[in-house]
Amino acid sequence: MNRVKSGAGSGGKTLGSRLSLLKTAVWKNRMVYTLILPGLLWYIVFTYLPMGGLSLAFKTYKANLGIWASPWVGLENFRFVFRDPAFMDSVWRTLFINIGRMVFEFPFPVLLAVMINEVRLGRSKKILQSVFTFPHFLSWIVLSGVLTNVLAHDGLVNNLMAVFGMEKFSFLGSELFFQPLLYITASWKGAGWNAIIYMAAITGIDLEQYEAAEIDGASRLRKIFYITLPNIAPTIVVMFILASGRLMTQGFDQVFNLSNPAVQSVAETLDMYIYRITFQSAPDFGFSMAVSLFRSIINMILLIMADRGAKMMGGDGLFA
Amino acid sequence: MKSKRFELLDAVITAFLVIFALSIILPFWNVVVISFATQKEYMLRPLMMFPKTPSLESYRYLFRDGRILTGFGTTLKILVLGVPVNLFLTTSMAYGLSRTAFPFKKLLLGAVLLTMLFNGGIIPLYLVVKELGLTNSLWSVVLATGVNTFYLILMRSYFLSLPESLMESARLDGAGEWNILLRIVLPLSMPIMATITLFYAVDRWNEWYNGMIFLRKASLKPLQLVLREIILEAQTLAQAETSGASVEDPLFSNGMKMSAVVVTIVPVMCIFPVLQKHFVKGVMVGAIKS
Repeated sequence: MNRVKSGAGSGGKTLGSRLSLLKTAVWKNRMVYTLILPGLLWYIVFTYLPMGGLSLAFKTYKANLGIWASPWVGLENFRFVFRDPAFMDSVWRTLFINIGRMVFEFPFPVLLAVMINEVRLGRSKKILQSVFTFPHFLSWIVLSGVLTNVLAHDGLVNNLMAVFGMEKFSFLGSELFFQPLLYITASWKGAGWNAIIYMAAITGIDLEQYEAAEIDGASRLRKIFYITLPNIAPTIVVMFILASGRLMTQGFDQVFNLSNPAVQSVAETLDMYIYRITFQSAPDFGFSMAVSLFRSIINMILLIMADRGAKMMGGDGLFA
Repeated sequence: MKSKRFELLDAVITAFLVIFALSIILPFWNVVVISFATQKEYMLRPLMMFPKTPSLESYRYLFRDGRILTGFGTTLKILVLGVPVNLFLTTSMAYGLSRTAFPFKKLLLGAVLLTMLFNGGIIPLYLVVKELGLTNSLWSVVLATGVNTFYLILMRSYFLSLPESLMESARLDGAGEWNILLRIVLPLSMPIMATITLFYAVDRWNEWYNGMIFLRKASLKPLQLVLREIILEAQTLAQAETSGASVEDPLFSNGMKMSAVVVTIVPVMCIFPVLQKHFVKGVMVGAIKS
């Protein structure tokens, strides 16, 4: 639909006449360009300039010379980056944590959507749904306040456990429990919201299928497994593939706000690492940029793979 | 749906959903209760569901401390400046990109979509903001999140669904594109405008990372970062207490922390019903596409 190359098909035309055609077309649409211009300027300054700034990965940053005039140093920054064991550790840790998310967090919204669909509660269903979606709209800072209060040593959960004679547990300070803590709290925050897309898919299922199954005397569980789930399977697959495109970037806000010095060694994901080396010590921007560039490239590869995957499964992909 | 009998399955599902709902409600309730409790009661009754002697002491401390008010001020400024900027940039560009074939349309669309695929992350953005001389100015935070590409696409696909004939007839009457956007397209697009406005407003309210990096003055801390500071202070105190050190906590810092959380949540709660009415629509627009 975007046949914009004016006269592209007519090979006989000279470059000059093509240019003048283009000029007329541009002039005719000048109002459209004024619509796009403010947004475009924003994209140039706040996304494309920083992308160009990534060139610092191959430079040594001199504050007085700025991003663009600092001298080139080739791959030197990368040599230092790969010599820092904490860097690769953080990369693997990020992948490990986020693959865990796909195993433990991902299924929950599907389950939740099916259950909300099945439950016979009439109007109170709406109230439940509101409760489930509410935490999604709060920041991880607010939620860290809420969660650290309940999970603290003398918090509600430990006090309840004490009532049942259980020993107090340091939910927030245990290295072993840190990953489960991430999965549980992320589900707690986001499952209700993420379930919406599956509920939309369930609403789209042809009711005749259920009626036919009813006539055959199928139980509700059977209907869930043989009608509901297969029908929303394409949505599940696409969501799963899209989630795999976020393996490198997901969860910074959460990890940043739920971690504390006691779990530092298991909480340093790649984004945490970038934050630490840049803002918690004397920054070496060349070094930071090398890490950032590495992160961007891996992330892009993951996204492209995810996009291809989603398209292969019949979805629209990320960029439809 | 013939069998109206309440089966075992119903019991299991209902129980599960109610427990999940409680797991969300109780922590928030606990926060509210502690914010209204006195330190003495907090110590004596760890499982209280209602404070017997409700007190506003924590809120008094919070507001006397003053940081939260500064935070409110900053965040309100960011909202008031930021959301209109967001809406102006997003709406005009989305409408422009929804126009029928014009030269470089594909290139421009591609350039926008590429930013979803590849971005430099926070460090290069920080350096650009620094070189623009925007650090320690609210404009850094306002401008750094000018257009959310996902919202732009949502809006553009809504505009694409409007009948082109309406705009064409206005064009024949001699109306310019900006006029058409303002007089014809926007009035027809109120649902999506409301959705995107609310999304941007909530994003602005919850935003903290850019503020943490770009705004280094205490007087410019947005609400979320003030809250974070208060939470961390309370946590440090609590840790010192559990490790056995006898720490004076004359302020009942946990109470103050909880009152700060409440104060930050209340505005979101107030717009939540409106938000809920709209966000499902927003998600559906996205869902229909995929």
